[in-house]
Amino acid sequence: MSTDRGMTPGTGAGGGTPHGPAAVPSTPPGPAPGAGAPPAPPPPRTRPADRRTPGRTHRRLARLPARPPGAGRRPPEGGSTTAHDLAVRRRLLLTLSALLTLSLFVSYQGVHGDANPLRTSTAPSVLSLDTALYALGEARRDARAPAPTSDFQKQISVAAQSLSAAAADDDLGGPAGRQTLQTITGLITVYAVKVQQSQLQPDDSVLREAYLAYATDILTQKGSGIEDRLKALQRQQRATVHRQTSFGPLLWLAWSVCLLLVLALGAALLQTQLYLRHRFRRRYNRQLLAALVLSAAGFAAAALFTVWTQQGMTDTRHLLDRTLPGRLIPDAGRNTASYLAHTGFRAAAAVWILIGGVLLMALAETGLRRHIDDYRFRPR
Amino acid sequence: MNASPGGPATAVPSTRSRPSRRLLRGITVVASCLALLAAAVVVGVRALDEEPTVTLLANWTGEDEEHFRQAVIEPFERKYHIHVDYQGSNAESQVLGADVEAGTPPDVVVLTGPGELAEYARQKQLVPLEQLVETKDFGPSWALPLADGHVYWFPLKADLKSIVWYPADVGEQQRARAVRRPAEWCVGMGSGATSGWPGTDWIEDILLQRYGTQVYEKWARGALSWRSPQVREAWKAWGKLVGAGGDRELLRRILKTPYQDASRPVTARPRGCTLEHQASFIRARPAWQRADGRYVPSARLIPGATGTHAWEVSGDLVALLHATPEATKLIRHLASADAQQAWSDRESGFSVHAGVRPAPGGTDPDWRRSLARTLRDPHEARCFDASDAMPPAVRDAFAEATIEFLADPGHLEDLLHSLDTLSGTRDLTWLPSVCDRRTP
Repeated sequence: MSTDRGMTPGTGAGGGTPHGPAAVPSTPPGPAPGAGAPPAPPPPRTRPADRRTPGRTHRRLARLPARPPGAGRRPPEGGSTTAHDLAVRRRLLLTLSALLTLSLFVSYQGVHGDANPLRTSTAPSVLSLDTALYALGEARRDARAPAPTSDFQKQISVAAQSLSAAAADDDLGGPAGRQTLQTITGLITVYAVKVQQSQLQPDDSVLREAYLAYATDILTQKGSGIEDRLKALQRQQRATVHRQTSFGPLLWLAWSVCLLLVLALGAALLQTQLYLRHRFRRRYNRQLLAALVLSAAGFAAAALFTVWTQQGMTDTRHLLDRTLPGRLIPDAGRNTASYLAHTGFRAAAAVWILIGGVLLMALAETGLRRHIDDYRFRPR
Repeated sequence: MNASPGGPATAVPSTRSRPSRRLLRGITVVASCLALLAAAVVVGVRALDEEPTVTLLANWTGEDEEHFRQAVIEPFERKYHIHVDYQGSNAESQVLGADVEAGTPPDVVVLTGPGELAEYARQKQLVPLEQLVETKDFGPSWALPLADGHVYWFPLKADLKSIVWYPADVGEQQRARAVRRPAEWCVGMGSGATSGWPGTDWIEDILLQRYGTQVYEKWARGALSWRSPQVREAWKAWGKLVGAGGDRELLRRILKTPYQDASRPVTARPRGCTLEHQASFIRARPAWQRADGRYVPSARLIPGATGTHAWEVSGDLVALLHATPEATKLIRHLASADAQQAWSDRESGFSVHAGVRPAPGGTDPDWRRSLARTLRDPHEARCFDASDAMPPAVRDAFAEATIEFLADPGHLEDLLHSLDTLSGTRDLTWLPSVCDRRTP
């Protein structure tokens, strides 16, 4: 570790040029001035620690970063810029890491945050509403039977149970959606009573016709009948599915920003690696390389998880986009479950983005810290 | 060279402990900021999706619902930025009953039945309104204090019921002839879950016009038997007027036609029917608008009416079940003169709010002005719709019985016996009074 330790700025042989070679301190790190003992005057340099003269590209790259706030005062013309360059790079890497972490987290949540509600609530509730509509259609057909039938009761039970299942969806339009479901449940009860009243009347009696007309009215009345209310709720739920599964312009923008940030961070890490390699003896900085691998792998994993989840959500939307006939509803339920399998696990991985971001910043910090500390100046 | 302007500087190789602490502190701060920022973003996005909401249950559907939204709800939503989740259903009683049983009733209801509201008040489901509403704006007969001294409802709109509508081109003699011909009456008993209520209005009004307010109130309070001669005669008179048990096609039309479509034949050629015994709100239907509908007090047409000019009235009554801040704002809005005026104008109904006056300049048609005057005139006797004032179970059975009676009037005694048995059930809540006292 001592091989890449920098020289005392401004005292080295090459200290006269802004990017001149640094020198290896001839003494081991001593106590800080604040600790009481006066610092020993630095010994004269005999030869630079940095063996290579930086190339043109490197010089150009080194001039690239602007001076972010807190980068420290730029040394006067003719002084060594190593400490300043290191501080600039440190700030740049930390800033890019923080921005990447945040933008990746938000972008990831933008997709995966909707996957769980879609899997556990919205998709099942759409299928439940499909089932209820189908069962009521069957019940309407059975209601015309000359005598009360068990088929009619069965279909009414199926419809009521489906609505109960749909009511379990926390996202079903909030209190308004739940109120609508309760209204529909109440109407189904009234509908069943009216049908039973009609079936208790003699064949061809006007009362039979009348009660059946009232029942049908409850079921089919435009706007306020059971079917129209269910269809309105279904449209609302399908709109929720669309919202949850859409990969809109904002998400494209967020992921594009992420991509740019990960590329910028990668370039900054590589450039810093090159800079350190030219400036100091050490060939590789393991922490910076680890940060590079972590950012690339983390971004790739997040992107891959997102592609898988988004694909599953898109397939689910295509499946739920139309009213399903009764016999296809169970299959649709199974398909939906398979499309959205593991989305919960992938959504839970969002916290690892934050952990990874902190780790990334820790690696960048520790990778540069030892060089910066060697160039720390304190007033006498 | 100096790194600091404060004096000469020297390179000091750092100790391990201070940078480590600094590093740890830096990472902790950055991590905390990141976590806070991420949490703030997520919470912020979620919070933006939420909007204060109040749930409202009423019985208006279709066009009525649309008018109510435009005249009353949308101004409220614009003014207070509170979303009103409106549920309209003609099975309102059943829906409300299920909601209350499930423990998730709406915040506000608009019901036509004070009897049903009194039952909910007895169950402590309603919130007293004296602190929210100026009850004196509506008068004691409309905002009726119950036995516990509290007022639990107020009317959003009032209607007059003891009237018969006819087309403007039908003269008095034609009306007199039409009264005795069942096919001339426009009757529709259909109303989904509440089918049969137009029949109850008929019987109530016949009883009121024939026997006066005392008998009517006694019956509406559960103190007069259904098998009493007065009530029995009222049923029979109605059966005779509309042809109960008679022509099968006519019966089919009466029983299957929804009440709001009963007046359609008025504009048919040849005219299908001429007279409709229905409340003032029916004047807003297209058929009566096209026929330039006029009204006559039912007391002039009902056989055997004494001419005492008592009026049966009904109201859409507002009650509060959840006193949330949003719900109380909605209650105040509904009780305001502006909302009452807007809704009454839109629905051809009437407000009994003291602050609502007929439009200056007299632009209202005569029929509308006279109806408004009757609803407010302190010299007129008004009785609330008896079936609406009865306990819900009795009200529903009454409506069912009118349907069965029309199909087979021979079962009248059985029907009345069943109603008597039901009315005798304990634990039913009867209103203490349903009629105004006429000011001499």
